[in-house]
Amino acid sequence: MNATAESEALTPLQRRATLRRAFVDSLPVLMGYSTMGFVAGVLLAAKGNVILSPLWAFLSSSLWVTGTMSIAGVSEIADRTPVYAFALMTLAVNFRYAFYGFTMLRRWKGVALFRKAYLILMLTDENYALEASCQIRSRSRNLFYCTALSILNHSYWILGVTFGALAIALLGHVVDPETIRRHTNGMEFSMAALFIVILTDQICKKK
Amino acid sequence: MLAIVAAGFAVNFGLRAIPFLLFAGKDRELPKCVERFGDLISPVIIACLVVYSYSGLAWKTPWPYLAGLLTVGIQLWRRNPLASIIAGTVLYMVLVGCTGCTTVSAETFKQDRFNPLISVSSAGIRFQGRPVVPAEVPERLEDLGVPKTDTVYILVEDGYDGTPTGRRALWVFQHNYLNRAGYSKTMMIHPLISESGSAEEVETKLGSGSVPFREAGPMRPTGGTR
Repeated sequence: MNATAESEALTPLQRRATLRRAFVDSLPVLMGYSTMGFVAGVLLAAKGNVILSPLWAFLSSSLWVTGTMSIAGVSEIADRTPVYAFALMTLAVNFRYAFYGFTMLRRWKGVALFRKAYLILMLTDENYALEASCQIRSRSRNLFYCTALSILNHSYWILGVTFGALAIALLGHVVDPETIRRHTNGMEFSMAALFIVILTDQICKKK
Repeated sequence: MLAIVAAGFAVNFGLRAIPFLLFAGKDRELPKCVERFGDLISPVIIACLVVYSYSGLAWKTPWPYLAGLLTVGIQLWRRNPLASIIAGTVLYMVLVGCTGCTTVSAETFKQDRFNPLISVSSAGIRFQGRPVVPAEVPERLEDLGVPKTDTVYILVEDGYDGTPTGRRALWVFQHNYLNRAGYSKTMMIHPLISESGSAEEVETKLGSGSVPFREAGPMRPTGGTR
């Protein structure tokens, strides 16, 4: 392992292989994030009581990257809860995030500041679970994998939330959110299944 | 709203950055115990995430557990995460879809006299539009978090309560299912009012003076024996 991650350059072939692996691993997240994000976007537009909801959906999904608050926080947004109360609620609901970084401390040591900040921002439940279980030994390939995975999962989330809000803002009376929900009902299991699979692998590896 | 977005960003990012801030500095070596903590914690976190993700599913039914077993089984057999996840998810969607059971994680609802949760007709009882058996209704109400002190509105369709059988069936439903589960306040609503869409619409159509719904109160069964 090298001390500085970026010093090792990856060949285009390695890049493509790693990217492909990240994409395949991200497919379950695509199923979960796009549907969950859509629900969050629909909620914000339908119940959030804000103007220009697609814009706020885009901003909040890009900057927060948390499904829990995007869904649970809508009623607080609608009620015009004071900012400090909202911050406190986020703190309480999402406190688990404070532990995820410990696993990545050594792995991301010495990564350039901006890139590291982005990786930290993307320490969501699903992203963390995939990154923590990533078996790639080579440091630079592992870093490339984490970055690619973060960008992919981030884009699924942003697209899901923004499209959800857009669907309500533009076609609120044409598209019935209930119909969409009923057709995708049960797809949220893909997130639970992802965690189950990762846990199964980790337990088997230990034995 | 901008302040909310900024606060959400600051808190989420801040939380995620805590470990990195604690052990900042390029040259500092990580203490061994911290490294071990990081490695040890990941299976624990993921185990917690499994439990946590189940709270958003229909965890009171056996379906998520069956789908979970299938996921583990296929993963042990084929070692292909994508295949296991898709198989588990499809099984869950089929099971949940077939039983008409809803997962209420993100569902919000509004219940008032213009938006009754329950409707009753000669075809049976519907809860939020889906056919249910009477015994399910109190469970569904509890799942949605309807307080026991709330009035439960019941839409009576096609003049169902006009017939002796209908009256009796309604009384049994109210008395044996809702009251016993703790929902003691119920109100019957007639189709006249609930056929039209929004509350405002109805209000203007009917004017403020008329009261087109009536309290059900203690409804007496007609005919039959007790």
